[in-house]
Formats: sequence, structure tokens, C-alpha cells
Amino acid sequence: MASAGSVVVHLRHFLRSALAGLRASPLPAALAVLTIATTLVLGGAFGLLVRSMQDVLARVGAEARITAYLAADVDAAAAQALAERARALEGVAAVETVSAARAAERFRAGSPERAALLDALGESPLTGSLEIALAPGRRDAAGVARLAQELSTLPGVDEVSDAGDWVEGYGRTIGVMRAVGSGLALVLAAAALVLVASTIRLGLYARRNEIEILTLVGAGRAFVATPFLLEGALEGLAGGLVALAVLFGLWRALLPSVAGGLEPLLGGASLRFLAPGEMALVVAVGAVLGALGAALSVAGGLRR
Amino acid sequence: MSPALIELEHVSKSYVAGTWALHDVSCTIEKGEFVFLTGASGAGKTTLLRLLFAAERPNEGRIRVLGRAVERMGAGDVARLRRRIGVVFQDFKLLPRHTVEENVRIALDVAGVPGGEARARSFAALKQVGLQHRRHHAPLSLSGGEQQRVAIARALVNEPDLLLADEPTGNLDPALTVEIFDLIAGSAARGTTVVVATHDPAVLERYRRRTLRLEGGQIAEDRPAAGTRR
Repeated sequence: MASAGSVVVHLRHFLRSALAGLRASPLPAALAVLTIATTLVLGGAFGLLVRSMQDVLARVGAEARITAYLAADVDAAAAQALAERARALEGVAAVETVSAARAAERFRAGSPERAALLDALGESPLTGSLEIALAPGRRDAAGVARLAQELSTLPGVDEVSDAGDWVEGYGRTIGVMRAVGSGLALVLAAAALVLVASTIRLGLYARRNEIEILTLVGAGRAFVATPFLLEGALEGLAGGLVALAVLFGLWRALLPSVAGGLEPLLGGASLRFLAPGEMALVVAVGAVLGALGAALSVAGGLRR
Repeated sequence: MSPALIELEHVSKSYVAGTWALHDVSCTIEKGEFVFLTGASGAGKTTLLRLLFAAERPNEGRIRVLGRAVERMGAGDVARLRRRIGVVFQDFKLLPRHTVEENVRIALDVAGVPGGEARARSFAALKQVGLQHRRHHAPLSLSGGEQQRVAIARALVNEPDLLLADEPTGNLDPALTVEIFDLIAGSAARGTTVVVATHDPAVLERYRRRTLRLEGGQIAEDRPAAGTRR
């Protein structure tokens, strides 16, 4: 078993050797860093797009309502009692009671033609209603349909108008974005792995004499391979940092025009850049990609 | 009689079907012996040495080195065996981008020797070959003889049980040849078992140690050291 002292000796050797490898092959190393950075910029930009769309859609989703129209004979007290029952249902975030008079006011306010129509009728046909906001986790088509069904069974509820179509579209859009994002990430990661493996293999070839000498003096495969894995991880780490800098630059450059276009949907809310945890994830993914690419190359290159 | 450090039983090695680099070789080398392998180019000297440090596997026969069956070793066992063997090559095999000291120290790093001790031991090994003052130089700034002395320092720095050398003076002039062989003989005098491949008759004549003469991949003669009987 290795002593603590020998572990320190090995770690120092690994780091020194990895840095020497990077210095010895600056061009392949720079290529690997650029490859990983490009992958992470594309993946990160797509992730930011999906995340921002989710934010926008979540905000729009918060405005989605199910409307339960009440029967004409439901008075204010009965409407309040129905609102209480509706609040107790699963998936309901808030309930607002709209009286028949308020419904008529809203209709009138819509346009002069609408107001004229109501005046022509003499008596408003509009009834009171309950406007029900959905809890964030329940904004899927199935949840909306279930809640609409439950509301329609309440006594005094005449008709239920749900936001099913919108919610279904919302869910489908997010699903498609996620699927495309995952597929794109996989393709990019595979391409990065192949390219990093190729650049590390160049390093293996350039240092084949050193590898031969190390094995002659009794170095095991792990001792020989670890500096290359570390080298790959360092390249990935650098690639991650470069990607973050590029993403931030793009974000700052494009944000004004994008945010301006989305203003009606955002309603005062702002789009946000990657959180510290997400930035750490980008760098960590870079390091893992680099180490995996190196492992692929080393596994083939160090066969006896 | 000393215990056997190296045992070969009916060992054969072929690189090309139908042609034997070594064929049916059997011999024993005892602990502390200094043995020359000699013979013309292609006689099998290098193949025999490569079998001893497990760079090659025999097609037939059994090989025991330091009490371990080499032909059945996995990669981990090969690495552990090599940490007990020092190997010197004709082409030195030094790392050009590392200093002389780092070249020697690499064997200690592999063995996990801590920093202070590694520095002291690599300095001592370089002093032994008279190159302590060149420890911060690049190998390529040294002469051929000096580079081979660095390689010997690297081979000896771990105090190996066995020192193998393959034509260590093949690239050097006669004066440097004596210098290098004196270092190797000094190591043997301190108890290290030494096996050296050379086709230089002057060296064989000067040191008069046990000599295995290979011919066509077989041991044609096993001549004992001067003044001993086998």
C-alpha cells in the first residue's frame, strides 16, 4: 500500500508531468482547449436559450387560468362558498371570484362595439365566475384536465373553460427544446471526445520515449496514464473557463435586443445569466470531457 | 552455493515463425555474479536481456528472475519487478527535456521515494559516477560517456538486486569504455548481480568474468570467471 509520502511524490510527479506535457505540445493543447470551449459555448448557449424560454413560459404559465362559469341563480354568498371549495382542490394556487356585474364591466371595457352590444341587449347575459390559477407543478395538460373535471362537478358550476390547449403547447415546446438540447449536447460531447482523444494521442506519440523509459524503471500503467488524464482534465478546465468568458460576452452583447423582443412576455421580469452553480457545472463538464477524451486515447495508446 | 537469482529452463523466443531468436536456452545465474553475454550481432544477447526484464515473453520454457516466474506476470507484477532491476542501454534512453538530476530521480519518483530523500539519493548516485556537478544540465549538453554515466546512475539509484546492460559502451570510444565498465564492475563488487551484453573482446579479456557465448540463439559456451571452476 502506498504511504502518504509516496502519494504526495506521485501527485507532484503527475502535476509536473501534465504541465510539462502541455508546455511540450502547445498547439495540440490549444486545439483541445478550443474544441472543448466550442462544445461548451454551443451547449451552454442552447442551455441558456432553453432556460430563458422556460422562464418566459413559466411566467406566461403563471397567468394561465381555468374559468368556472357559475349558474345565473348563484348569489354572492354561494359564489364565495364555491370559491372556498375550489381553493381546497389539489393543484389550485389561487381563486378569484368575479361577479356578474364585474364580468359585464370587463366585457364593456374590451371595446366600444362590445359595450354597444351589451346596451342593445338591455340585460347582461354574463354570469359570475371563478378564475382559478394553477399551482406551478400542475401546469401540464393532464393536471388541467383533471382539475377542470373536478370543478365541473361542483354544484352551481355551469361550464368550465380550461387552458388545456395552451398548457399542452407549453409542455410540448419545453419537451421538444429539451430533447433537441439533449441530442445536440450528446453529438457535441461525442465530437469533443474524439477531438480531445486525438490531440492527447499526439501527445502520447510525442512522449513515447518518456513513456518507454518510465515503464523501464518500473512505472505501472496508472503512473504513466495519470499525467495524461490530468492533462486532459486541465485542458477541459481551461476550455470551460474560455467557454464561460465567451458565453458571458455573447450574453452581454445580445441581451438588450433579445430582452427588448421578449418584453411583452417578460412583463418587467429580467432574463438571467448562468448561476454560480451552473457556471461551475460548465467548467466541471469541460474537465470531465477532457479527462474522458484522454482516457479514450490512453487506453488505446498504452497497450503493451 | 549462492541462491539462483536468474533461472532459464529450455527458453525459446521467436519473432518470426520458423526462426528462433533464442532456442532451448537453459542457464542459472547466482546472486552476486557478474556475467557477460557475448556473441555476434543477432546471436540473441538483446533478446535474452529483454526476456529478463519482461519486455518480451518466451514462446517456450520457464524464466525465473528474483524468484518470480516472468512468463506468467501481469502488468502490475512486471512494474514491481522492474523497480528491483536497473537497465542500461546502448542509446542511454535519457529524457532530453529533463535535467540530469531529474533523469536519475525519475526511478525514485516511480518508487514513491519522498522529495528530500530522493534529492539526497540522486545526488549520491550522480557523485558515484562523478557527475554531481552536472546535475542541473540537460543530457544533450553532456558527452556520450557522461550520458551513459547518467544512465548508470539512474539504473543504480534504487540499489537494484539486478543490473542489466545491453552493449553499454557500443557508442563510446575505448577510454570511455573502461570508465563505464569500471562503474559496472564497482556495482558488482558491492553485491549487485550484473548481466552485461557486449561483443567487445577487450572488455572480456580485461574483466575475465563468467561469459555466456551465444551463437544462433543458443548458448555455445559457458566460460567461468578466471580463477573459478564450474
